[in-house]
Amino acid sequence: MPEATTTPSSRSRPRMTRAAVRRAAALAPGVAIVIRGAQRGRRPTAQAVEVARVRDGVGAGKSVELLLASGRRARVPREQWQEVQGDLEAFVREELAPLDAAAREAVLETLAAATGLDEEASLELSASIQAIREVLRERLPRCAVDEAQPAGLSVEQVLAVDDSSVWVDGWMHDEDGRGAVTLVSPESARLAVTAVAHRYERPDVVQFYAGLGVERTRDHGFTAHLTLPGPSLLSNGWIAELETADGTQLETPCPAVVRDPAAVRATILGQLGAAGPVGGPLAERHGRPALTRLQERIVAEAEIESVDDYGEQPRNPAVSIVVPLYKRLDFLEHQLLHFSRDPGFAELELVFVLDSTEQAGELAAQARGLFALHGLPFRVVNLASGAGFAGANLRGIEASRASRLLLLNSDVIPSRPGWVGEMSEFYDATQDIGALGPKLLYEDDSLQHAGLYFHRPAGSEVWHNGHCFKGLHRTLPAANLVRPVPAVTAACMMVDRDLYEEAGGLPLHYTQGDYEDSELCLRIGELGRRNWYLPSVELYHLEGQSYLPGVRRVPSEYNRWLHSQLWGERIEELMSGFDPHDPAASPHRPTTERGKSS
Amino acid sequence: MTTMAEPIDERAATGARPLRVLYVAHNHPTLHPGGAEAYALELYEAMREMPGVEPTLLARIGTNVARRRSGRPGTPFSSVNGDPNQCFVFTETDHFDFFTLTSRDKSLYTEHLANFLLAHRPDVVHLQHTHFIGLDLLGLVKRVLPEAAIVYTLHEFLPICHRDGQMVRTFDASLCEEASPRRCHECFPEISEQLFFLRQRFVQAQFENVDRFLAPSAQLMDKYVRWGIEPQRIEVEEYGRLEPAARAPDPPGGKPTNIGFFGQLSHFKGGDLMLEAMSLLGERAGAHLWLHGANLELQPQEFQDKLAARHEALRDRVTFRGPYRHGELPKLMADLHWVVVPSVWWENSPLVIQEAFFHRRPVICSDVGGMAEKVAHGVDGIHFRAGDAHSLARAFEAATTSPKLWGSLRQGIREPYAMDTHTERLLDLYGELVDARKGALTHA
Repeated sequence: MPEATTTPSSRSRPRMTRAAVRRAAALAPGVAIVIRGAQRGRRPTAQAVEVARVRDGVGAGKSVELLLASGRRARVPREQWQEVQGDLEAFVREELAPLDAAAREAVLETLAAATGLDEEASLELSASIQAIREVLRERLPRCAVDEAQPAGLSVEQVLAVDDSSVWVDGWMHDEDGRGAVTLVSPESARLAVTAVAHRYERPDVVQFYAGLGVERTRDHGFTAHLTLPGPSLLSNGWIAELETADGTQLETPCPAVVRDPAAVRATILGQLGAAGPVGGPLAERHGRPALTRLQERIVAEAEIESVDDYGEQPRNPAVSIVVPLYKRLDFLEHQLLHFSRDPGFAELELVFVLDSTEQAGELAAQARGLFALHGLPFRVVNLASGAGFAGANLRGIEASRASRLLLLNSDVIPSRPGWVGEMSEFYDATQDIGALGPKLLYEDDSLQHAGLYFHRPAGSEVWHNGHCFKGLHRTLPAANLVRPVPAVTAACMMVDRDLYEEAGGLPLHYTQGDYEDSELCLRIGELGRRNWYLPSVELYHLEGQSYLPGVRRVPSEYNRWLHSQLWGERIEELMSGFDPHDPAASPHRPTTERGKSS
Repeated sequence: MTTMAEPIDERAATGARPLRVLYVAHNHPTLHPGGAEAYALELYEAMREMPGVEPTLLARIGTNVARRRSGRPGTPFSSVNGDPNQCFVFTETDHFDFFTLTSRDKSLYTEHLANFLLAHRPDVVHLQHTHFIGLDLLGLVKRVLPEAAIVYTLHEFLPICHRDGQMVRTFDASLCEEASPRRCHECFPEISEQLFFLRQRFVQAQFENVDRFLAPSAQLMDKYVRWGIEPQRIEVEEYGRLEPAARAPDPPGGKPTNIGFFGQLSHFKGGDLMLEAMSLLGERAGAHLWLHGANLELQPQEFQDKLAARHEALRDRVTFRGPYRHGELPKLMADLHWVVVPSVWWENSPLVIQEAFFHRRPVICSDVGGMAEKVAHGVDGIHFRAGDAHSLARAFEAATTSPKLWGSLRQGIREPYAMDTHTERLLDLYGELVDARKGALTHA
């Protein structure tokens, strides 16, 4: 039997071992299931079954290298590899199917962990593993939901949060409420649900089983965010199993996985907001990790697809202005008209990021026409998919070059030329400055933004963002003093790129644009900087025009809750010295005073 | 170098190149009758006669006013009646954004109008109207021809008021004194205050390119100043008019019972108000109303029905005489003692008042806006309370029963502002603005 040749191990490389392979079959290009050992014909142990990445053509093309999931590395001469390698179906039928139940389960566990083995997690690998699962897995009696049968199980939603975690919602009923639910992924990963799930009352289930008499529990519902050992890419084939305390075992198929990130987010937020204000164990143990991962997935998927330059971009821009565009492309015409009338824009870099990607064609046509008309150069960043407010800013910043950033909303319209230069001058002249925000006005000259602070309304556990002097007239003396404030809005925020990056940028974990700016300002504060309000620069901010009213209640509630979870203590400290109504007040600085502002 | 404008006449005498003035109008009067269009053509023709001036008229043509279905391939421009200095520019009505008042198709500016400007290189661009062409033309002129002066004659309130530029509230038909995002949103609840604000800032930013605004009436100027045009950039300049070829003969003697109306028979022009006043008046004064006007068929059906129903009972006292040509005015005026201008909106400076005065007919008009400004109550006409049919009926009664009053008001009529005076004033202004622009560019 062919013996694998080994190469010396080194610290930087995976451990090399004398691993012989006696049979192998391809699961996907570059990935194979193998049985270690030399002797063909003997029934393998479950431990001998492994999944390996296969690198062909090493050793001057004469060998095949195997990177085993267990961490071992082996080299097999090519002709030997060809000899042991064969058809997957025969492999499964002859080698794996005859194993006993425990060994088959162990093999499935091995396979479940192997889905991430090919770096570009492929559907083909998942499909091969699912096919093996169908041969090897122990089938349980199918659950028939019946009001006379105490054991019942239903999974109503499986949402893909990202490739390797899911959000699941369903209900389970048994005699004593102690039954265990396990979810089995198409790639054969087994996830314990009831041990970790948030349990809640399902009045409909209680009603359905009312004929069975008094219940031990009313909390039949379960919701959980579950992490998989490797990526799961298949939408069909999830199975739920129930094992009751008396040993009854049942299984039931799950509905197809929902993958669309917007739908996943809406469902999760809907569940978080279903029982009153967002918060509590469901939000803490499931909602927050799920939404954080979902947001990361959304931004990761929203790669820069293309960057379109309109006109010759400035060589050494003093400031990069980054403007996310979402749905309301009509704002572009207004901003470009006003910017083009400002000579200061010659030294600025103007970067628009399209967050509503379905409008790429429309925007390109509009951008061409508006550039030809006004002659003001700008750049449009197109994304592979929607990134959200913070994500769009992130991509825009990646595509910009100046050492100073100005984050700007698309519905902000300047009141006069020269404002960017004035903000920049103030920024340069102020020691230890963090983020700088100007005065923002509504269309009737009342104040929209004169600095942000934090307050906890009576009876509320969570901190809210408050706007100083909001709705009062722009000439209000108290709103016309330059001063440090706890935070400024990202609707128009100037900050140096280095500092922005040191502070981690706008956090990505909030949903649908909210509280990113205040968290960024809090982080900037942690770095010993102060955030300033500059009332001499006035712009108009047509707040909230990009969103439909009403759809933001739960996202806002979630964001506020998350913000308080993360920053509550710091905010408490900060606000102890800040009176939003007293223009002489400055936010408390816990870090050492590093010098007075000019 | 002196900073004074070189006198225009000397330019011609010394062989200096003539002052090139481009007039831009939203329609050509041969396609669509209308006061502003007629004035634009008259002004162009008057300037053509002036030594040292080379005027060009660019008039918009489109599917909504002409039988032509489209522009020619590759160009929106075409010739007008063999005149080398008149030009049509075709624009698609659908491309015009009636809210922000500019064209959505920017190639109109960047590919076509830019070439037109560079080909003609006007010293002055005098805009009569930017409807259907769009406000982006203003920024374009400044970008393509930075030395050119821009003059903009305001004919109504379109830049201020989304309600067809009428400044009449949508919900109660009351006259609006002042536009603001909040008040405009009240008139159009489906359009947000923020959008009205964007509209206002958009128009104002485009208007910053204009060197001088001309308002044919003081009341119109006041409303634009309140809206945001600096007083030093706007002045009152009445429409100059060419003297008619013939004046109407004196009307028949006896009681001055014949009242004439000229214009569109629409609600805003007081079409229904006049008929209501005539029914209130009854037969006692013997007044007869002669209606000359077009476009009744374009009015809402409801309005047409209302007018027809009212007319049914007034057949012996109200006569529809249908559309008329400008040249027919002396003949039509011959039978009339009075001209009535009963509009229920502000008007600007109604040309019909000037026509009436040319033919020495006193005017009965609403006591608001451009009508009250151009007609002096008790001097050359009679005011009635705008929109009030009873008040109009009383004015009709007073007018038609007193030959003495008619005679004295007729005596009070002054000759309308003459085109000659107007063109002289405009040439002074053009010279002043061209020099100022040159100065600004040298100092920049």
